Order: sequence, then structure tokens, then C-alpha cells
Amino acid sequence: MHTYVTNILITLRLMMRDRMVLFFGYVFPLIFFFLFAQMASAGQSGGVAKQVVASVLIFGVLGNGFFGAGMRAVSDRESNILRRFKVAPTTAAPLLAGWLVVGWLNFVPSAVFLVLIGRFGYQMPWPERPFTLFLFGSLAVLAFRAMGLIIASVVNSMQESQILIQLFYLPMLFLSGATVPITSMPPWLQSFAQFIPSAHLHSGINAILVQGETLQSAGKQVVALLLTLCIGFFLSVKLFRWEKEQKVKGTAKLWVLAVLAPFLALGAYDFHAKEGLTNAKRLERTLRRGRTLLFRDVRLFVGDGRVIERGGLLVKEGKIEKIFEGATPEPKSVNADGIEGSGKTLLPGFIDAGVYLSFPKDAAIDRRLAAYLYCGVTTVRSFMDNPIELQLTQRRLATGELLGSRVVTGGHRPPAPRSAEYVRKLLEGSLAQQAAPKGFIDAALPILAKLPPSLDPVPYDLVETGSGLNLLIHGPALHRELRRMVEHGRSPADALRAATGEAADRLQLPVGYLRPGFAADLVLVDGNPLQDITVTERISLVVLQGERVARGSLFEEYDEK
Amino acid sequence: MPEPVIHVSGLRKSYADVEAVRGIGFEIAEGEVFGLLGPNGAGKTTTVEILEGLRDRTAGDVRVLGFDPAADSLQLKQRIGVCLQATNLPEKMRVHEAMRLFGSFYATTVPIDPLLGRLQLTEKRNAFYGTLSGGQKQRLALAMAMINDPKLIFLDEPTTGLDPQVRLEIHNLVQELRDSRRSIILTTHYIEEAERLCDRVAIIDQGRIVASGSPRELIAQTFGASKLEIAFTAPLPEHAVPPLAATLNSTRTGIAMQSGKPARDIAGLVDWVDRQGLDIADIQLHRPTLEDVFLSLTGHRLRD
Repeated sequence: MHTYVTNILITLRLMMRDRMVLFFGYVFPLIFFFLFAQMASAGQSGGVAKQVVASVLIFGVLGNGFFGAGMRAVSDRESNILRRFKVAPTTAAPLLAGWLVVGWLNFVPSAVFLVLIGRFGYQMPWPERPFTLFLFGSLAVLAFRAMGLIIASVVNSMQESQILIQLFYLPMLFLSGATVPITSMPPWLQSFAQFIPSAHLHSGINAILVQGETLQSAGKQVVALLLTLCIGFFLSVKLFRWEKEQKVKGTAKLWVLAVLAPFLALGAYDFHAKEGLTNAKRLERTLRRGRTLLFRDVRLFVGDGRVIERGGLLVKEGKIEKIFEGATPEPKSVNADGIEGSGKTLLPGFIDAGVYLSFPKDAAIDRRLAAYLYCGVTTVRSFMDNPIELQLTQRRLATGELLGSRVVTGGHRPPAPRSAEYVRKLLEGSLAQQAAPKGFIDAALPILAKLPPSLDPVPYDLVETGSGLNLLIHGPALHRELRRMVEHGRSPADALRAATGEAADRLQLPVGYLRPGFAADLVLVDGNPLQDITVTERISLVVLQGERVARGSLFEEYDEK
Repeated sequence: MPEPVIHVSGLRKSYADVEAVRGIGFEIAEGEVFGLLGPNGAGKTTTVEILEGLRDRTAGDVRVLGFDPAADSLQLKQRIGVCLQATNLPEKMRVHEAMRLFGSFYATTVPIDPLLGRLQLTEKRNAFYGTLSGGQKQRLALAMAMINDPKLIFLDEPTTGLDPQVRLEIHNLVQELRDSRRSIILTTHYIEEAERLCDRVAIIDQGRIVASGSPRELIAQTFGASKLEIAFTAPLPEHAVPPLAATLNSTRTGIAMQSGKPARDIAGLVDWVDRQGLDIADIQLHRPTLEDVFLSLTGHRLRD
């Protein structure tokens, strides 16, 4: 024990005398912190600031792990320092333990330092589970140090170690999700990333720091890290070499794979369960929903029929924060991304109060929810769906794993049948061309004849398209219905109100109005729908829970297969 | 008769394609300073590293302080002190920290400060290793070798690369150690060092011991004679023949002979030169050294 303590104390002193340690442990992460914070606009939301802190912590763990203990072992061996230890009556264990512990002692203050900067520099909320974060971070840095030691054990020279370390460090950095979001990578790379230890480090730290989850919820990662630490330490004691003249055989380098085994197993599990990818999607959603947006110089349709001809709207943390009438402040002054809206109209996201998500019986609900979102319909009430399936869908929507319109249930009014002429116009509209699944329209047109040729009943008070039945396509039908309401003599404002505020009142949801505190579900259209209702189809932007929806890529994962 | 401190017989060590040690055997008694003398690559370091437990042997029987270094390496290392040939410490490690760190590996240690005092390192107690001179580093290496109060000390080329002044200091220290009745095994390629410090020397060349004994014995065994040389101011006349067993050099300006009794023979030669009517330019009496022993045994010089 005395040996271990003395070793740790003296190694610690040596470390504190090393300026490189100070630079790479404190100054370097700080530079990355500011860079990342700037890139991600961390000041805009606590969630984003937490993600930035998480990313820089991962940088720290990787750097500390790969460039700390391993490099030290190789350079001490190269400069004949380890030879001296070889003639002393000791095994490699006290030395290796000393390097592990000292690396950890170096990491802890730098991690605390980062959290403090996040807290006071970027208004990051305190971590909800600081002790859990501490445990996980400690385990992570020890495990990655053990990986560094294994690399040191199987290389023959400083040069080889540089190469091997870079081979591990760079992919781990880029595929961790800390630099580039995993969700933005091509699918094959996403699958590959699930086998990368740092990706699990990323998901673990994010689960604990950003989503405030327990150590249990990151249980798989904890087990993998723990195994890596044990295997890494055990093997590096076994493979340890004291002298540079002692060469290691090429095949021994394969021991590195043994250390990666826990993560290969975890990756295989995740590959099967797709959990890693799901987590990555959730995280990205949190990040995108956390941004601060400012609409300026825009016409606002408030939802209750009132219109502000020139105003602005501030979105923060997924909610409407503030409405401006007349002049709107500069985006920079409120630390927001500015969206210029002159000539455009901002409305609450549309609500379709009656749809049949499970019909027709040919495709998954997910794509239909995406189609609604594409068309600016941010909430739908679904009739006659399997309640269990719908609950799962709602959960996936809430966590952000699935991107699509909100779904509520309750009540039922049988849909009024539409005429063949009505459906033809709908299917031939430009929105339908964009939002329809492949082949849907071609298949639908020949069977239009089965519909009554010119039955066109008076619309309901609310917009209930009954999409899913009668060849009514999910999404675009709402716009067609708005048009029909106006054709039947209602004012555009009245029709819009039926698809926003009134529907929300009826469904008792905090949406459908541009009011502070309401969900930031918004549609920005090109022109003035109060004069010409067809303008609602000219959608320039859809915002759901504060996230600017990337409409162009909404159908990617459904249609490419 | 007490058990020898070191017993080696039939020791062999092969690396992939070379046989570095080819059947070495010797014994070292308690309190003895034993030198392994040979050129670089002769197998000295390999031999001592096998004895220290740092390397495995290919064949042979080795006992060090009653232990087999290959099997009981940790127990053996507890009891010996080692000063390695090429070793280093971290630049920013202080002298006393090095002593504490290495002391922590041993079951029993001597107090650090008196030991540093004996090695004249008290002033450098808090200095960084990187700031020490070559001599100070070597003294620190000696201090570290003595931290566990060992009865047997290995000094592998303790003065190689040091300037003469520092070498002298180290020699004095080794003599002090010898006076405290510790056994020392020393490798060197400096003849003077072996002659001066060692009770017994084994000459190693190409993995074999070519001769062993006290420096004096070795010299006597090999030559039993000193070499006498006399140079004249002018060549010797044509008809004259040198006396005794002396031989004339090619320019006839000097004679040389081997002699078991140099004091008597030199008088005879000087007398003869006088009688030839020549003047003496120079007289040299060349006593044989280990260098000569080495040269005559191996056919090449030590520092080639």
C-alpha cells in the first residue's frame, strides 16, 4: 500500500510540474469550449450549454485517456527511465495504478472547471445529478486511460505509439457524436459508430448531464467502461515492458482488440436494438428544440382572429417567449437566430381535428405524421387507432426520437364524404405532389371514379378532413378544406381560426395561439392568407416545439428504402 | 567454507541469432570486489543482468545470495543494489523524491538524508534530476542502489562516459563500499579501474571468460616478465651483437628484451651500451598491465 501511495504522490507532483498537462488539461479544453459554445449558440438555452459541456468533457476524457498515461509510459520507456524500475523489487502494477489515478486527479478539477464555466458563462443549469456525473466521468477517464496503457504496451516506439494513438483517437473523436451529430452521418457510418467506445461515452454523459438520468439508465455503458478498465489494467500489467530493447511481436497488438471487446458487445447489442441511434436522435432533437428564434417584421395571425400587421415573435426553449407589436429588437440583443419575415405571415401551426392515421392500411403512422408536419399541420386528432400503438407513437414524439405532428385522441365524428372532383384537385395540388408517398397519387387517380362525382356537403365548424379515408391524402387535405370553407362563404380569418385557436380550445391543448407560454408550433407562409386562403400552401417554414423543421429531409428515411 | 555470494556455472544466453554468453562460470565470495573486464559486446552486461534477475538465461546454473534470479526475482531484488549502465529518471523529479520513490519498493531501507550525505548530495537534495551533472547523476544512482542497505551491489560500467575527475570520485566511493565489507560485482572496460578496484578480475571476450584471477596473478601468469627498452643516440656498429636475450631493432638504434628480473638486467644492458661507446637516449621499463594481458589473450585491444 505504501508503495502505491508513494507512487501516486510523486507521480502527481511530477504531473503538476508539467506545463503540457496544464495546457492540455485546462487551456486546450477551454478553447474548444468557446469554439463549440459559439458554434452551437450555447447562450441560447441551458440544454445546449449542457451539450457543449458534455462534448468538451468527452474531448477531455479522450485526450486524457489516449495522450496521458500511454504516451508517458512509452516516453519513459524510450528514455530508459523504466529500466531503473525494473531492477527494483516491484511489478508494473504500482506504476500503472499511479498513472491511472493521477490522470483521474487531473481530470476531476478540469471537469468541475468546465461545469462552472457552463454555469456562469452560459447560464447552464446545475447538473441535476452531479454525483452521478462525477462517478460516470471518473469511470470514463479511468477506462480510457486503461485503453491508452494497452496501446502503450503493444507499441515498440514513440513513433508507433503516435500512429496507433491517432488511429484510435481521431475516429473516436469524430464518431463519438461530440463533434458531428451521429444523426447527420450516412447510415453505414451510424451503424459503425455504435461500436465505438466514445459514442457510448457520449450517450452516457449526455443521458446523465443533459437528460438528468440515473447511473442505472446508463447501466450498459457503465458495465462496458468497468470491463474495459479491468481488462485494460490487467493486460497492461501482463504485457508491460520496461525496456525499449524488448520488442513486442506484431500479433500481440491484437490485444488492443480485447480491450475493445466490451464495446464491440455493446455495439452488437445496440446494433440489434438501435438504442444508440435512438439516443443520438433524441439528443439532437433536444439541441434543435433548445434554440432561440426571433421572427421579425412579420404579419402575425394570433389565432383568435386578431392580426398584427407588423410585429415579431421570440421563441425560447420550445415555447413562445414574447410577442412584439411594431418594432422588433435585433436578434443579437436577445441572443437569437433572426428570421426575417417581411411579406410573410406567421400563424400557429394548423390543427386537423379529425384524421384516420391507420388508414389506408398500407404504411406506418410515422410517415403520415411527417407528412402533416411537412404541410404545416402540427397537431392532429386521430380517430379509430390502436390505442397502444398510438401511445408508443406519442412517447416517441415526446422524446424526440420521432419527428412528426403531435397526436391526440378522443371523440369521433363520421367524416363527410368528398366528391371525386374535390379529391382530384387535392391530389393534383403541389403540396400533395411533395407530401404523398411514392406511387400513391398514380394509384389513386384511376379509382377516383368510385367516389360520388359532385357531392360536396357544407364543412364542419372545425377542420376535420377525415384524411385516410376516401383517398384523402394525409397532410395537404387541410389546406384543401380551408379553401372549401372560404368557398362556402366563411372569411379566410374565420377559416384559419377554425384550424388553429378554435380547434385548440375544443381539444383543450396549449397550442393554436401565438401567446407567451404556448408551444412554439408555428407556420410561416409566403404572402397574406387573410386575403388569399391558398397562400397557406406556400409554406416557407414550419416550427415544432421550437425546432425549425428540416422539411426537405422529412421523408428521407421512409422513401429511400 | 561459507557459501559464495554468487555462483555461476555453464551460463549461456542466446538471442534470436546471436549467442551473447557461451558458457561462463565463476564464484564471488563475501566481501569481494569482482570485476568483469571486456570490450563492448563481450557479454558482460548480459551476464550481470541475468544475475540481477532482469533477463532469463538460456542454460546454466546461477545462485545469487542463495536465490535463483530467474525464479525468485522479487526476493532477490529486495536484497541487492543495482547501478545500471544506461538509466534515467524524469527530468523534473527531485533527488529526495527519487530516493523516496525507490525506497518505497523495499521492505527495509536506510534513512535517506545520511545516505545522501555520504554521497555528497545533501546540497542537491531538492534539485531536479535534469539539473544534475553527470557525476551527480551517477552518485545518485549509487545512492539509489544502496537505499536497501544491500550486501551485494552490481555496478554496471559505473564510470563510463564520466570525466577523469568524476571517475576518481566514484572510485573512492567504491573503495568505501568495499571497506564496509559488501560484495561488489563490477563491469568495466577501463583497465585502470579493474586493476585499482577489483580483488579479482575475469576477462570476458565474445561471451567466454578467457582468464581470471587477481590483477597481479593475471599479469604474472601471462608474462612473468617486464619489457626493457633502451634507445641509443647513434646506430650500433656493424659487427656488434646485443648481449643476453636482447634484440636489436631494424635501424640498429635500440634494443629490447623481456625480463623476469628487470632491476638486474637493466644494469647489465647499460653496462654493455657503455662498452660499445654509445650514449643512451632513453630507457624504458614497461611493466605489463591488464591491457597487455587482454591483448595477449584475445589478440585485440580492449577499446577497439
